[in-house]
Amino acid sequence: MDDENDELVPQKQSLFPLTADDIVDNALQSLDEQQAREVTKKAADEVVRIAVEKRKGEYRSDRAQDEMRNLINNANLLDEKVGDYKINSTFETATGTTTVEIKKSKTNTTLIILGAVLILLLLTLFFLLVKW
Amino acid sequence: MSYILLLILASLFCVFYLRHRVAPANKKRLTRSQENANLVKVLLELDADALADLFKLYRDQFGESAARYARNTYRKWKSGDVRPNKQTFQRLLINLPRVMNFGLKCEVLRELREAYCPRGEYDVTVSVDDWKSTLTPLVEEIVERATTAELPQSLQRRLTWLAEDDVTAANALLAESQARESRNAMTLLEKEFSNIEGLLDNAPRNTRVSHVLKLPLGSINVQIKRGSEDG
Repeated sequence: MDDENDELVPQKQSLFPLTADDIVDNALQSLDEQQAREVTKKAADEVVRIAVEKRKGEYRSDRAQDEMRNLINNANLLDEKVGDYKINSTFETATGTTTVEIKKSKTNTTLIILGAVLILLLLTLFFLLVKW
Repeated sequence: MSYILLLILASLFCVFYLRHRVAPANKKRLTRSQENANLVKVLLELDADALADLFKLYRDQFGESAARYARNTYRKWKSGDVRPNKQTFQRLLINLPRVMNFGLKCEVLRELREAYCPRGEYDVTVSVDDWKSTLTPLVEEIVERATTAELPQSLQRRLTWLAEDDVTAANALLAESQARESRNAMTLLEKEFSNIEGLLDNAPRNTRVSHVLKLPLGSINVQIKRGSEDG
């Protein structure tokens, strides 16, 4: 009876396959001294690289902020003096690319208002004619 | 006679039908030589220092004349104007990795991860008030992707050096590094959104702002609206 029970109980064996961490641990244990030193060195290099990239990113961000201020000034000037304009600007920032589009179109707005008034007039005329 | 005509018409129809059904599947499948060319292109995306190390190693292994040809042609391989032959592919992606130092191997692996691991691509609209609550879970998802990402099995079967112990260690190191880079981006975004808020507050009303957040294993396309107080 005891023998049967012994067979049923797993002997410190997990039913699950190896996890990613186990694979990495096994790999690290299998490295020779030279390889282990190279891994440690590369890990330190990566920490420095990430810090440098972050600093570069902050610099790009500051530069983008200045460029955005210039863009606002130019857009506000155009807004006062020009009827129609469109500005498209792209800024390289710390985390990617910011795109800004500013446009003003008086001609289009006027045309839309005129069109709407004309349609209203025509509708009014149509209803008046139908009533009579 | 009419039976023969009918038979010809039926077979023509079958051929036409089969070709149209099979064509899209064939189009998607790359030939081995196209796959090789793409892998070489990915390898040549290495930054200048790593590329210089690669060509130095190439010269040491295959001689001055082969290295000169590689140095003169790599831009054409990279642009796709010239397709590298099987020997070039084998030299660059089968033979050289076996003699590369750990640092260079990591850089090659980084390029392979960025090109072949599944990426997360998202499109969202946020306001300058609520961007953090929308973007944080997406960035976390990309971080999770970076820590669990694996190169496709087909690639691992072809580049058998990817299964070696030092490459497994390199993969773990890069996964952690890419996860950190993605988390750093979240910190840097604080200042960027503050800049964008300033821009939207002061720019004329018809201003549209979008931002592409680029992370090692994904990108988020963000359309940004003004804060709720501004309507």
